[in-house]
Amino acid sequence: MKRQECIAMLLAGGQGSRLGGLTKNRAKPAVSFCGKYRIIDFTLSNCTNSNINTVGVLIQYKPFLLNSYIGLGSAWDLDNPFGGVHILPPFLGETEGSWYNGTANAVYQNYEFIDYYDPEYVIILSGDHVYKMDYTDMLRFHKEKKSEITLATIQVPWEEASRFGILTIDTDARITKFTEKPAEPDSNLASMGVYIFNGSTLKQALIADKGDYLSQNDFGKNIIPHQLKQKKRVYAYKFNGYWRDVGTIESYYQANMESLRDGHFLNIFDPKFRIFSNEDIFPPHFVGETAKIENSLICNGCIVHGNIINSILAPGVYVGEGVEIKDSIVLPYVKVHKGSKIYRTILGENAEIMSHCIIGAEGNISPAQEGIAVIEDYHQVPEGTVIDAGMNVYRSR
Amino acid sequence: MSNAIGIIFANSGSDNLQGLALERPIAAVPFGGRYRILDFALSSMVNSGIRTIGLVTPHQYRPLLDHLGAGKDWFLERKDGGLFILPGVMHALTGNKHTFCIKDLENNLEYLQKDFVENVLISSGDQIFNINFRDTLEEHKDKHADVTLIYKDNNNSDNDPNSEIFLELDEDRRVSNIQDKNGVEGNDLSPSQFVNILLIRRELLLEIIKKYSSFGCIDLMTIIAVNRGVLKVFGSPTSSLISTIRTIKDYYDRSMDLLNLNVREQLWLGVDRTHTKIVDNPPTKYTSKAKVQNSLIASGCTIAGEVINSIVFRGVILEQGCRIQNSIIMPKCHIYANAQTNFTILDKSVRVHGENVLKGSESHPLVILKKTVI
Repeated sequence: MKRQECIAMLLAGGQGSRLGGLTKNRAKPAVSFCGKYRIIDFTLSNCTNSNINTVGVLIQYKPFLLNSYIGLGSAWDLDNPFGGVHILPPFLGETEGSWYNGTANAVYQNYEFIDYYDPEYVIILSGDHVYKMDYTDMLRFHKEKKSEITLATIQVPWEEASRFGILTIDTDARITKFTEKPAEPDSNLASMGVYIFNGSTLKQALIADKGDYLSQNDFGKNIIPHQLKQKKRVYAYKFNGYWRDVGTIESYYQANMESLRDGHFLNIFDPKFRIFSNEDIFPPHFVGETAKIENSLICNGCIVHGNIINSILAPGVYVGEGVEIKDSIVLPYVKVHKGSKIYRTILGENAEIMSHCIIGAEGNISPAQEGIAVIEDYHQVPEGTVIDAGMNVYRSR
Repeated sequence: MSNAIGIIFANSGSDNLQGLALERPIAAVPFGGRYRILDFALSSMVNSGIRTIGLVTPHQYRPLLDHLGAGKDWFLERKDGGLFILPGVMHALTGNKHTFCIKDLENNLEYLQKDFVENVLISSGDQIFNINFRDTLEEHKDKHADVTLIYKDNNNSDNDPNSEIFLELDEDRRVSNIQDKNGVEGNDLSPSQFVNILLIRRELLLEIIKKYSSFGCIDLMTIIAVNRGVLKVFGSPTSSLISTIRTIKDYYDRSMDLLNLNVREQLWLGVDRTHTKIVDNPPTKYTSKAKVQNSLIASGCTIAGEVINSIVFRGVILEQGCRIQNSIIMPKCHIYANAQTNFTILDKSVRVHGENVLKGSESHPLVILKKTVI
């Protein structure tokens, strides 16, 4: 019994170069998010909560930390005898084989994997979005409309529409037009990068795309427009929940900060739709006598002796006495020593800030990346260093 | 690979825990923000490389099994070895005085017979510690010992009033006498106190069970004491922090000790982690009105009130204006606005409505039973 109704192909190989120091050492889906999570937790948990038990994870860029984090998928209850999580790296065949060249090419190269499970439907997911979504609703819609390809869509603010792939639909929700990042959008319905294909349609589309030498082998840029031209039945499923692309420092920072607001749409506290993660085991966090914590998220294993305001501390963070951390995101295992001041900064994993440093500034002072300073993973900032707002600080190599 | 399997006696109860152990064995009492007392013995064995562990369960074993599941979070969900549930015979008795009752082992003889390993590490399940037994296992092997008893040398200051057995040792740390506290005058007690953890050859244990099972309820330690002349019984010292939980005062004091960095360093901040059931709670949310000092806070809480010198377990909600002092708040409690607690232990899922004031004292902390609504 290996045939599955629907399997997922999770695109997790992108470099995520726009996240600067955060993706120098790891693939974007493995970047820490909202304290205890990593970005890929959301998509993997969505699969579990949607009863999709077979997930192929396409990896390419700096995969070690991502692979070891995913493991057998047991942290998301995805280890099961019929399917489970499969890590799919680029590979060599007898006569061919190459690096993944675009999202569609990555799936094309793994068609043997899809054939093995012979699914009726394939859902294409992206490992760098933060959202909670039950894909079974979308699959039901796909079947009802007798659709061949269904795109999950979300309404975005008009002024941001030109950053997305924008769709125009008819009264039946059938897509009539798709434009990638239009200068003058005629709709604010954006593609979320989540596609359901009929198994046969996907195979044909990928083979056709492979034969097209001008194609960039990308689902959004090539496959979807080409299939529309072919008059395939392509429908738009409207998603009403919270969805964020966290592909840039600014959007990553904003999405994290949003989770501090009351009544936040993502609602990580909802027990009916849990987000699972593969956390290290830590004791509860300790709050010392000199600490003051306001409007913040604090994870297990932290030791806090300083002031934390509007910030997120991931697991295992140490904050010394007299430290002030404001409007900042502190990733796992960071140490901030005595008297340092951190404003509007993302401190990369395992970074160590020695005493009496000043990093960043309050408010949008610098025009660069909204004044958000970023310190790379494992970087050690020497005592007394002053780093301006909006700076990217990398480790010397 | 370690040449031992483990047995944890998780069936000791207590009438002195004021309701915390009313419907659960001591081993299943929540402790330290996210653990159960059993986690310490279990994690120490796992961290020592032991991957086959039998758990002697009491009459009320539901909370234990709920916590342990298949043992996955302790890496005990395995093909080779794993976690075994050994139903104890002392079904009806909660005030069982015996620590290692031979009847409990006889009932689960199969567990001991089917393995091939040399030794069995036996521990009680009502103690707080983080000990790596690798050295003891080595020593036991090197000395060709029949039994190795783990002990702690007491300076009078931290004499654990709960310990009942003391060891007299020669220069080679061979045990020359095993003293029962009740049978010896105060000043003659040896300073080497047995910590209810021992290593015994499996074949020997099987022989003992065969020979003594007709005696009914007899403690393994009594048998070892009687036969110490013919057996090679050694002592192995530990300097680790180790404390037994038998009374509500023990429970409160040992919990509050966790606010001391030195204690946390010995238990939690070393190389060996204490493992527990993972529930994937979100991070704890502090609102702008939160005020927390000198406290341990687990994940999944929402904190809008004031917390001083306290321990807060997972998923607790503390509303604005409430004040928690010197208290232990177990999972899923909800303290409404302006309620106050001082020297209070709230068992799981207690709700304290607004303006109520709960106050115990340091020597007699107030205990509120599970699911009480106030």
